Amino acid sequence: MEEAVGYLAKHDLGIRVLAGGTDLIPSMRQGLFDSEHVLDIRHIGELRGIRPRPGNGVEIGALTTLAFIERADFLRRHYPVLTEAAATVASPLLRNMGTIGGNICLDTRCLWYNQSLTWRKGCGFCIKKDGDLCHVAPGGTKCWAAFSADTPPALLCLNAEVEIASASGVRRMRLSDFYTGEGDAYRKLQANELLTRVFLPESSADYRGVYRKLRIRGSIDYPLAGVAVAMKRSNGYVADARLAITAVNPAPLLVKGVTEMLEGKAVDEALAESVGVLAAKTAKPLTTSALTPEYRREMIRVFTKRAVMAVANGN
Amino acid sequence: MTDFSIIGKPIAMVDAAGKTTGSGKYTDDLNLPGMLVGRILHSPFPHARIKRIDTSRAAALDGVVAIVTGKDAPNPYGILPVGHDEHALALDKVRYVGDNVACVAAIDEATADQALELIDVEYEVLPAYFDPEESMKAEADLIHDNKPHNLEKDYHHVFGDPDKGFADADHVAEARFIANEVTHAAMEPHSTLAQFEIDSQTGKRGRLTVWSSTQVPYYLQHKLSLVLEMPMAQIRVIKPLVGGGFGGKSEVIPLEIIAAIAARAARAPVKITYTREEVFWAHRGRPRTIIDLKTCVKNDGRITAVKARVIQDGGAYCSYGVVTILYSGALLGALYDIPNIQYDGYRVLTNKPACGAMRGHGTVNVRFAFESQLDELAAKINLDPADIRQRNLLQPPCVTVNGLRVQSYGLPECIEKVVERSGWKQRKGKLPRSRGLGIACSHYVSGAANSIIRSDMPHSTVNIKIDRDGGVVVYTGASEIGQGSDTMTAQIAAETLGCSLGRVKIVAADTDLTPIDIGSYSSRVTFMAGNATLRAAEQVKKQIAAAAARKMSCAPEELIFRDDSVFRKNGHVGTAAFGRPAEQGSSASVSGRVEGQILRGSLQQKRKDEGPKDWMTFEEAVVAAIDFHGALTGTGSYAPPPEARGGKHKGGGVGPSPAYSYSAQVAEVSVDEETGEVTVHKVWAAHDCGRALNPVSVEGQIIGSVWMGMGQALTEEMVWKDGMLMNPGLLEYRSPSSVESPEVEPIIVESIDPEGPFGAKECSEGSLAATIPAIANAIYDAVGVRLHEVPFTPERVLAALRAQRGQKKINLTEGIDPTAPAKFREHGGSLWFRGKGPERHPLDPARREGPAEAAGGD
Ligand SMILES: Cc1cc2nc3c(=O)[nH]c(=O)nc-3n(C[C@H](O)[C@H](O)[C@H](O)COP(=O)(O)OP(=O)(O)OC[C@H]3O[C@@H](n4cnc5c(N)ncnc54)[C@H](O)[C@@H]3O)c2cc1C
Ligand code: SF4
Repeated sequence: MEEAVGYLAKHDLGIRVLAGGTDLIPSMRQGLFDSEHVLDIRHIGELRGIRPRPGNGVEIGALTTLAFIERADFLRRHYPVLTEAAATVASPLLRNMGTIGGNICLDTRCLWYNQSLTWRKGCGFCIKKDGDLCHVAPGGTKCWAAFSADTPPALLCLNAEVEIASASGVRRMRLSDFYTGEGDAYRKLQANELLTRVFLPESSADYRGVYRKLRIRGSIDYPLAGVAVAMKRSNGYVADARLAITAVNPAPLLVKGVTEMLEGKAVDEALAESVGVLAAKTAKPLTTSALTPEYRREMIRVFTKRAVMAVANGN
Repeated sequence: MTDFSIIGKPIAMVDAAGKTTGSGKYTDDLNLPGMLVGRILHSPFPHARIKRIDTSRAAALDGVVAIVTGKDAPNPYGILPVGHDEHALALDKVRYVGDNVACVAAIDEATADQALELIDVEYEVLPAYFDPEESMKAEADLIHDNKPHNLEKDYHHVFGDPDKGFADADHVAEARFIANEVTHAAMEPHSTLAQFEIDSQTGKRGRLTVWSSTQVPYYLQHKLSLVLEMPMAQIRVIKPLVGGGFGGKSEVIPLEIIAAIAARAARAPVKITYTREEVFWAHRGRPRTIIDLKTCVKNDGRITAVKARVIQDGGAYCSYGVVTILYSGALLGALYDIPNIQYDGYRVLTNKPACGAMRGHGTVNVRFAFESQLDELAAKINLDPADIRQRNLLQPPCVTVNGLRVQSYGLPECIEKVVERSGWKQRKGKLPRSRGLGIACSHYVSGAANSIIRSDMPHSTVNIKIDRDGGVVVYTGASEIGQGSDTMTAQIAAETLGCSLGRVKIVAADTDLTPIDIGSYSSRVTFMAGNATLRAAEQVKKQIAAAAARKMSCAPEELIFRDDSVFRKNGHVGTAAFGRPAEQGSSASVSGRVEGQILRGSLQQKRKDEGPKDWMTFEEAVVAAIDFHGALTGTGSYAPPPEARGGKHKGGGVGPSPAYSYSAQVAEVSVDEETGEVTVHKVWAAHDCGRALNPVSVEGQIIGSVWMGMGQALTEEMVWKDGMLMNPGLLEYRSPSSVESPEVEPIIVESIDPEGPFGAKECSEGSLAATIPAIANAIYDAVGVRLHEVPFTPERVLAALRAQRGQKKINLTEGIDPTAPAKFREHGGSLWFRGKGPERHPLDPARREGPAEAAGGD
């Protein structure tokens, strides 16, 4: 660990962290990162594994693979929304390599950005990389690349926190504060920092959970829209609920007002529908991804409704 | 004779283990001493004149051995004699984003890539055309100067009396259908390795050898000779294992010639393997097609006339385009009995990669439109969709109104079978809401009756040589591309000669060794190379029979070749199954092969002593034949008969085939009415392949066709923005994964074609075209919406559903229309953008001063 953060401190801007490499390597091949060094952290053993901390929830090392998370009984029993979300990432092969840390840190995606250098030269560079205009929102100065990872919305529903380490120490922050909402500088992680652990609080344990993902193929595809819900019920009424969406904004977002809308109610179609409408309002999909933005927003509504119904009815 | 010992049996591909163990070699696996890596510089502009290319900075880079540009090989070429419009490297103009500009041969990939960045090209950007209907209006800045209105070719055919047909009809359906552009997505990216030898006598540059992932070694040899100005005899093309072609390797692809030019300049072997993005640029896939279709029927469902206007967005070069647009019209015939046909076809040039031949070449998109419309008409007149098809059957043998000769015709049986197996009669219309069944039919040629090179040479020739050890070597130009042509060849040779499959060795697709074959495309190999193999084997067999008959004191006609032995039809000794002692069985072949050398002498002696026999081993017969005739070789060739070559009208050469395959399919789908997602649950696919030489292989081809058709039906689509391909990779270009692959029940129908080898016809393309309309019709059955644009992506399906319910229109499909270029250009990618920002990336073309200023208008 010390050695790793040491390297990061030393090379600062010219270095990239490689965990599973499933995102970094393809991106480097496309010339999206031209850093001089790559820091391979795969062998830092202390960052791997799931450690329940009775009374304090559970701690997941950043290098824990998604396949491992998907199969972990403890998580399936107590934090099922994470299990569900992890199981939808990419394909089995990629889940064997991809890590939860990498998934949280995953670069935002855009059809005009995730292309080869030759392609981008032909098209013209954009704000996110080497250019000064945006093909998606012409005239704007902001990048809208879509945050397209599956587990962060689930983690947001669980009020997860992340631990970040650098040569100058360790800090901890709520995952909801980790993302900036900008497509280019999308995460609050300095180049000399390492994401080391994810914490799921005890208070989020044993929530029912459901993750619904819009994808064209049943495997491989990144989410084009994603909805995670975690819900606690008592006597048929909602005691607490949180809902987060992904792939339709530059950050995964908790949908505000969902808790209030659901709390104390019995879930029925109409209620689920209004949650759907609320979620769709939070979604700001643009032409960063396949399928049209209008369709993707509409699916946030449908998937939210379905996810809320499913979680209320125990899947 | 229907009792076969080798054909008709499920046999593992003869090259299966090589592929599964990794011991088999594909082009990219090959390495030569001193080999260099070639990388290609591609155009960033869809349409531009090249003013100047300066390679000096790149040439100065350490590790760069040679840089070649268009000037190094200025001769044009193209797969069709009428379409010699391509240069391996652009000479004066680039015509699509990705067009080839220069090639660097360097000691490794990184160096070559670095060098590409140092090549300075000055372009004068020209207005570009992306939409075929717009392109047809072009007056200036033509894509090719000799093609006014950017029209590659148009055809206007009238067969019968369409006007009368329309007048006689009781019901008419008319609509525009659109099928978007798809590509082959073969697993193996194109790869070529080229090497010049030093002539051992003169010390000068000598022969050229090219290893390439190609479906057509002979065409490659031919085009190389044209471009490099070398006699064909000086060029050897070898096809190693090929990881799928589907038509994408059925013509000469730029890298194949570029590798040779680079090797010549570098004086060293050069290998180029495309990246996936380059494969998308090389393309040659199925063009975006706009089909205005009108079909008329009587009250009883009989079709009276069809009128089709087809526009194909062909991309920047001709490629197979003229053939594609002709197939689209010609294959309106030969499936059903249509008395009157009017066809207007336009092949249009646009500034995109060239479209070419792809599985189901020319027929697929029009078939989607036609079968959908027929379904609509059936609904209109309240007829079962299966019945309307049965009411329009041909009565073969016959010649269709557009000059196609049909002999074997398994379509009726295909329809019967899928109707029966799918429970059509009981289940159709009775499934739960959102679930439905759809039926559609299709057909395809078993090779073109007229080859694209206008000549009278046979389409396939096969040589066979048998040595004293009884090993059979078959030399064929047919290209195994994963479809099983080597296995088919071995089976036909072994069946004919009555020897075991293990004796047969296939030497294929090496222009130095194998006779000319025009390649693996248009489903021609089994029919044509198969017939040539059959004829070659029969010729050898005759020689063996003559010698064996002498030894057995009987007439050659009395002999039967089977199970590695030769015996008399009604031999005296014969008590066992085929007139020879049973215990000799197959052990003879095994020991014969292994110990042949040792046994031969003594066996011969023994046989001699014993006098005339009623049977001999295959090997003994071979030895007898060689002793009698000298060398034992045979040759056979195939050319389609004149009767099958079609009508005399302009363009009548495309469409005719010696035999057509037939297919009928039923698809069962469900539609999620809130999301528009379509799930295909099962497809029953009956295919008439004449005779199934290798049933597993046939089933594999049927399943593969259905799967590929489903990809085009639901998910695959090349998306364009202003000439930029938005999805040049297999992540965003979505071929189905195993998760959404439906169960496919292949049903083999055997109509035994009178001219096919053992009655066989094609089985690898015909099925594809039925899948798309079967799914479309099933969607209609499930939710009552008729989709006119393929693929049926969830947003398109949902938009149709909402329209049907009169729900508020949210414009769900806006923005993915590939023909809406205005948007991107308005705000300007930097492609059309001038001036702003000193921090622009140094490679940003907009930053360059000079002629790029001219960018912008059209
Ligand atoms: C074909 C394909 C399909 C995919 N589909 C999906 C999908 O459906 N859903 C999805 O969510 N993802 C998908 N992915 C992306 C990726 O596989 C996963 O997100 C995976 O979890 C990334 O983890 P990794 O360990 O491989 O990350 P890496 O590639 O190693 O890293 C990703 C990024 O995070 C940074 N990083 C990684 N770990 C740390 C750390 N501990 N500290 C600081 N920075 C770090 C890296 O520097 C890099 O910028 C897909 C990828 C591919 C190639
Ligand atoms: S949203 Fe705009 S700036 Fe961001 S990656 Fe896409 S095109 Fe570039």
